[in-house]
Amino acid sequence: MENKKINITVDGKAYQVKEGNTILETCKKIGINIPSLCYLKDVSTNASCAICVVEVKGARTLVRSCVSKATEGMEIRTHSPEINQARMTNLELILANHPKDCLICERNGNCELQELTATLGIKETPYGKTKPVEKNDTTSLSLTRIPEKCILCGRCIAVCADVQTVYAIDFAGRGLKTKVSTYRDKGLGNVACTNCGQCALVCPTAAIVERDESKEVFADIYNPDKVVIVQTAPAIRVGIGEAMGMEQGALVTGKMVSALRKLGFDKVFDTQFTADLTIMEEGFELISRIKNNGTLPMITSCSPGWIKFIEHFFPKSLSHLSTCKSPQQMFGAVAKTYYAEKLNIDPRKIVVVSIMPCTAKKFECKRPEMNSAFDYWKEKLNLADKDNFFDVDYVLTTRELARMFKQTGIDFRHMPEEDFDHPLGISTGAGVIFAATGGVMEAAVRTAYEVITGKPMENIELNVVRGFEGIKEAELDLDGTKIKVAVAHTLKNARVLLEQIEEGKSPYAFIEVMTCPGGCLGGGGQAIPTTWEIRQKRADSIYKEDNLKAIRKSHENPAIKALYDEFLVEPLGHKSHELLHTNYVERGIY
Amino acid sequence: MKISDLAKLNELKENAAKKILPDKPYIAIGMGTCGIGRGAELLFDNFERTIKERNLDIILKKTGCFGFCSEEPLVNLYIPGHPLIIMHQVSENDVIPIITGVLKGIMPYRNVLCRIEEWDFITGKFDFGKGLTDYPLWNEVPFFKWQKKIVLRNCGLIVPDDIEEYVAVGGYFPLFSALNNMTPQSVIDEVKASKLRGRGGAGFPTGVKWELMAKVQADQKYIICNADEGDPGAFMNRNEIESDPFMLIEGMTIGAYAMGASKGVVYIRAEYPLAVRRLKSAILQAKEYGFLGENILNSGFNFDIDIVEGAGAFVCGEETALIHSIEGKSGRPTPRPPYPAERGLYGKPTNINNVETWCNIPVVISKGGSWFTETGTEKSAGTKVFSLVGKVKNTGLIELPLGSTLETIVFKIGEGTGSQKRVKAVQTGGPSGGCIPVEYLSTPVDYESLNSLGSIMGSGGMVVMDQDNCMVDVARYFTEFSNGESCGKCTPCREGLAQTLKIINKFTQGKATVADIHTLEELGKVIKATALCGLGQTAPNPVLTTLRYFRDEYDHHMIEKKCEPGICQDLFSALCENSCPLHMNIPRYLQLLKEDKLEDAFESTLRDNPLPSSIGRICHFHCQMKCRRESIDASVSQGDIHRYISDTIYKEGKAPAVYEKIKKGRLPQTHKRIAIIGAGPAGLTAAYYLVRLGHDVTIFESESEAGGILRWGIPKYRLPLETLDFEIQFIKELGVHFVFNTTIGRDIAFADLERDYNIVIVGIGAQSDIALSVAGNKLDGVLSGMDFLKDVAKGKQLNIGRHVVVIGAGNVAIDAARTAQRFGSEVTVVYRRLKSDMPANKDEIKGAEMEGVNFLFLCNPKEILADTSDKVRGIELMKMASGDIDLSNRRKPVPTGESFILACDTVITAVGEEVEAGFLKEFGIKTNSNGNISCDHFSFSTSHPKVYAIGDAVTGPATAAEAMGIAKKAAEVIDFNLMNKRRFHKLFRGFEYSDEVPLKPEGGNRHYTFKRPLEERIGNFKEINLGYSKEQAYAEASRCLRCDVRVIVNTEEE
Repeated sequence: MENKKINITVDGKAYQVKEGNTILETCKKIGINIPSLCYLKDVSTNASCAICVVEVKGARTLVRSCVSKATEGMEIRTHSPEINQARMTNLELILANHPKDCLICERNGNCELQELTATLGIKETPYGKTKPVEKNDTTSLSLTRIPEKCILCGRCIAVCADVQTVYAIDFAGRGLKTKVSTYRDKGLGNVACTNCGQCALVCPTAAIVERDESKEVFADIYNPDKVVIVQTAPAIRVGIGEAMGMEQGALVTGKMVSALRKLGFDKVFDTQFTADLTIMEEGFELISRIKNNGTLPMITSCSPGWIKFIEHFFPKSLSHLSTCKSPQQMFGAVAKTYYAEKLNIDPRKIVVVSIMPCTAKKFECKRPEMNSAFDYWKEKLNLADKDNFFDVDYVLTTRELARMFKQTGIDFRHMPEEDFDHPLGISTGAGVIFAATGGVMEAAVRTAYEVITGKPMENIELNVVRGFEGIKEAELDLDGTKIKVAVAHTLKNARVLLEQIEEGKSPYAFIEVMTCPGGCLGGGGQAIPTTWEIRQKRADSIYKEDNLKAIRKSHENPAIKALYDEFLVEPLGHKSHELLHTNYVERGIY
Repeated sequence: MKISDLAKLNELKENAAKKILPDKPYIAIGMGTCGIGRGAELLFDNFERTIKERNLDIILKKTGCFGFCSEEPLVNLYIPGHPLIIMHQVSENDVIPIITGVLKGIMPYRNVLCRIEEWDFITGKFDFGKGLTDYPLWNEVPFFKWQKKIVLRNCGLIVPDDIEEYVAVGGYFPLFSALNNMTPQSVIDEVKASKLRGRGGAGFPTGVKWELMAKVQADQKYIICNADEGDPGAFMNRNEIESDPFMLIEGMTIGAYAMGASKGVVYIRAEYPLAVRRLKSAILQAKEYGFLGENILNSGFNFDIDIVEGAGAFVCGEETALIHSIEGKSGRPTPRPPYPAERGLYGKPTNINNVETWCNIPVVISKGGSWFTETGTEKSAGTKVFSLVGKVKNTGLIELPLGSTLETIVFKIGEGTGSQKRVKAVQTGGPSGGCIPVEYLSTPVDYESLNSLGSIMGSGGMVVMDQDNCMVDVARYFTEFSNGESCGKCTPCREGLAQTLKIINKFTQGKATVADIHTLEELGKVIKATALCGLGQTAPNPVLTTLRYFRDEYDHHMIEKKCEPGICQDLFSALCENSCPLHMNIPRYLQLLKEDKLEDAFESTLRDNPLPSSIGRICHFHCQMKCRRESIDASVSQGDIHRYISDTIYKEGKAPAVYEKIKKGRLPQTHKRIAIIGAGPAGLTAAYYLVRLGHDVTIFESESEAGGILRWGIPKYRLPLETLDFEIQFIKELGVHFVFNTTIGRDIAFADLERDYNIVIVGIGAQSDIALSVAGNKLDGVLSGMDFLKDVAKGKQLNIGRHVVVIGAGNVAIDAARTAQRFGSEVTVVYRRLKSDMPANKDEIKGAEMEGVNFLFLCNPKEILADTSDKVRGIELMKMASGDIDLSNRRKPVPTGESFILACDTVITAVGEEVEAGFLKEFGIKTNSNGNISCDHFSFSTSHPKVYAIGDAVTGPATAAEAMGIAKKAAEVIDFNLMNKRRFHKLFRGFEYSDEVPLKPEGGNRHYTFKRPLEERIGNFKEINLGYSKEQAYAEASRCLRCDVRVIVNTEEE
């Protein structure tokens, strides 16, 4: 059945093709690109834009190739005066209410609408504006919505609803008043939005973008009184190359480091360092919970979109979350305490910038409790409440960093390969794989196994939790103690595991949840486009980097060992508790 | 009481039959929404109170609507032994007489619409009684005559919320039969055999749709009734549910059985509270009697119906949107496939049919599919219910066999506009449909034929439009509706309709260009081809059909910036001004007169109209037909006032001062030479404006004097020569050269004009009488009306004899008749239609009657009879009967076969005139098939590059004012073409006058001018209309409501 072939005619030529595909997919396979706009593979079949229309013999109207399947005997025309006119007119209609300020748009050069306009060769349009300009939504710390640029394709809604089951946005109003909006138009910052940014990743235009903080970062870089240090998340090294025009999934760790130095950061560190630290803390937390009959399953807490999701939708299950901060926040706390002390820098002069594949991190770093360093220094430096500072000052996405590189004339492709600075730049293969779904689990197991059993792990590559299956399960034998673990990516899959927990049917001891499809490498702040093919290439690079690392287990990271020796004393110790662990809040849905 | 077997059902029916034919009188009030809207509730209360107070043995019922909405409230009156009487327009005052009559056993003599002797409920027949033949049978009334009531079989005759009455007329027997004697498949087969198609508009074969659904296996299936009737002007479904809810429930129950569904939903508009109430009550009753719910009729079959009230979004008529709406989501359509039959409500297989489709089911089962196909056409079987509304005399709910023509609907059932106004178009299918022009009304109403005209059947809305409808505005209205109802999902509908509306608004504001027409067409095509759902795919129909059939109206808005019917407010100042062919600023001169600025008032009229006094006497007064004052009492006599103004100015010798001003305003010499052929009203007007624009103008006239029809056709008693001469004299003074007694082609070669002039304007009028095509039309004594009037004007001695017969009904006929009568002859005007159909001025007809002219209506000449010396001795006239109303909105004269002879000495024929332009052909000037000069509507250019044409020569016979209006427009265009500059406006000026709107109507009733007494008119041509006195003129002027003043009201934005 699966390989059944059908006979169709396209533009007068006969073809034998696989059954079950849409006309659009089928034509693509035989070398005909039908222009489309609102359709996005694996995300949206809203079928609203009416660009990908084709003629099917016998049909009353033109047919949308993105949702209509090719069937036996179908006679299809992919271009004709009528089809071309329809595509042009519909695109012109979209353009009528879309601002023509491409030159000063942040998606300039990477905009599907712009590209399609060029593809269809539209040079002028008879249509003028028909609707008033709506105000931008700047209520969110992570994302900005620019409704004027919205073409109502529905991708953001589809990804929010179908991939994430968050339903933060939907169409509101009708006719020309139709818009993408939040519950009662309150704005993304005031509703149950997880800030995952998948909407921004799938938006064909710049209607929804990350909240850009590059200007502020530039200002601090150019300020001689500031010590600006940067941490880069594991997924950046497989994303920034793409954003700088290199091939998909390019692994560019060394170039990234030298480019960041060139950009003017005083120190270039690696979030993988604190990823290793996370493994230490989280690993010991898990062991402790297992030993002490703590709340199980324990669920990872590295992914801030996921954190906000559970706070909104499953507040009763918050105790299942690991109390560990995410690696980015651990980094900020360590940088402004341990590192500041070590180098004897006034923590207030330190600016911590995170380069993240993630828009939710922008929100995370502004959570009020994320000021452990301030608390640490408060008494010592006699600080007042108004002097409060956050552990992490700015979060930039892959895309923002790429723009900064471009603005400063960095020839990224030809940058030399350099190493991270010490000591917060030293990491293991376990830290690297945090970027992929299953990575935290795999890293944790590498450490937990050895800590619990006291024996080295034979095969540290835990293939069973790799790959893009929605929910992955594994049973681990920790020297006789058998535990079941699960890995989920996307909030839709997380929801399944949570519902299991709330029903009391969860068989797992440990669960890893990543908000974005594929994990951080498919994060909402990554290079556009991000497709499943591209995610795979990024994952391949991540596992390659893991392989290349001399040390591949977090507990073997010498810098981590030094951190404990010099400062933290022991995992789950007092300082760890103060600086590396956190608590969560219950949030409503409305 | 649960009905579980046939015996019980029969027993119920027999008992209930006494409700339909009781042994005592009953009165039933039509209480659909339409009846209630016209006071049926009060009426019912009155009846109820009276019956109660007097303790009378009369049954009082509330029934539904019998369909004739414009005649509501309808009351059914039954006295045993007599036919059922249907009374119309019954008011509270009729209550006592009706009841008194009933008590005495006497039928009322007023307000009776018709009688029903027997009624075929199709599922059962009832005999009410014979007699009362003074009243027409129901199907002799034009409104009902052409109808066939299948769906509406019970409507207005049974009590809608009494299940027993429904059973009494045979209801629920079909369900019983389906459940007991038929398999689900055989039910489907019967529906397939009936060729019933979806009545919601798309026309998909119902049986096929059912079969698709029946074949899908599922634990749960749904059926839905789409009662989301959203078209403006459509109320079929509302009425069907209000008047006969059980018919719908039974249809759905049968359908559910056939398709294996156990749940039904009626999705109905919340704006239909009465329908919802009756349906709810009906569902409860059906359950109580075991026709719905568990184990229906003891068959083991379970089916229940829920009601979901929709908030009234037009798009929810679309299947997928409707399903989403029921599910509690926003009503937005999704692409099909998957079709609801595969994945519908809550993901389960679902069938959706329209109310009317379901309502057809019980009769299909009762009478069989083949019986059903006896009605309608091969492809479109059965009947269709329409709501007939708009500019039509009889409005209401009608049902007639598919394939009946639009003409039947509009003119036979609707009886035309019911006024003098012409039907222009019919809009079918509501905002999704198209406007079909009157020329196409012979089209049969079926799915395919309407599609071929660019319209659709839709759910059955039918809006009739007359000459006062602006088709651009109609397109705008429906586009605005669709645009507002678009769900906003897909680009073509959301953005395309908004752009369409924006562009149409450019037309209504006079800002459109030719490119806009192209864009509208292109947009319409793309929206149709690519919108996601039916709403979008059909929304461009009103625009596309009006562009197709009424392109000239778009052109008027675009090129002339005029809206002839006076709808598009931005394009005119006042309705009178807009309807005046010369676009005289009427409110201005009325106000100036009111303010006692007589000279200014005169100057204002003179700048707009070169012959204000003459035209003030003889105009057709288009302005009066549109005057808003008419809605209060009577229109303002604008013409009599401008006649008063100019007469007074002339009398008081004040003209020269004004003339001086106008002469001074003549633009500098352009040295462009213009020749005008014909010194009639058109030629004179063109000359008047062109000479003032600085051109060198020469008029060539074959007669010895100027004036054309005004001099030679209009009798002096209407227009004294001195008035005409005085006004023509001024045109001469302006510098126009006149060359009289000169015929082009005979006295001067056309080639000379071609050579010597920059421009040649042909304004030769339409002066040739059309010959009467009957035997004897060449006899001695047969005269043409135009020739006769001309001869009289020239003072020729004529011997017309004692008896004169005039054939015709236009102004020429009446002029000829009154003129002949002045020579002492006995005159008879013969016309084949009715007096009300006469095109002549009403005042002229009245004058002729007063002076003793005889009229013979419904008579048509058969032959003119000769005496032995080949002279007329009489005329044989065929008696005509008034037939159906034809496309011209008049009753068609039909020969009766009976004729008679009228002795006479002279026959004057005045059945119309035509243009004599044949001689121009050899100069390269083309004519149309009707003889008119072929000429562009807006540029007045002919097929000859130098030659323009104006007046009746272009339009065929029309009024003097219309000819002058064309000449005025042509002067503007010609000047622009010559000078390549807009200069025409320089001939006009502003005047100071108040813009205060009278807060209440002033000036009292309409003032009538003094007329010469009858005895003073005999045997002479003295002017009859003596005009206004000063007081009258001032008072009449102050009657103007000043609708030219637009007050801008600030309305808060939502």
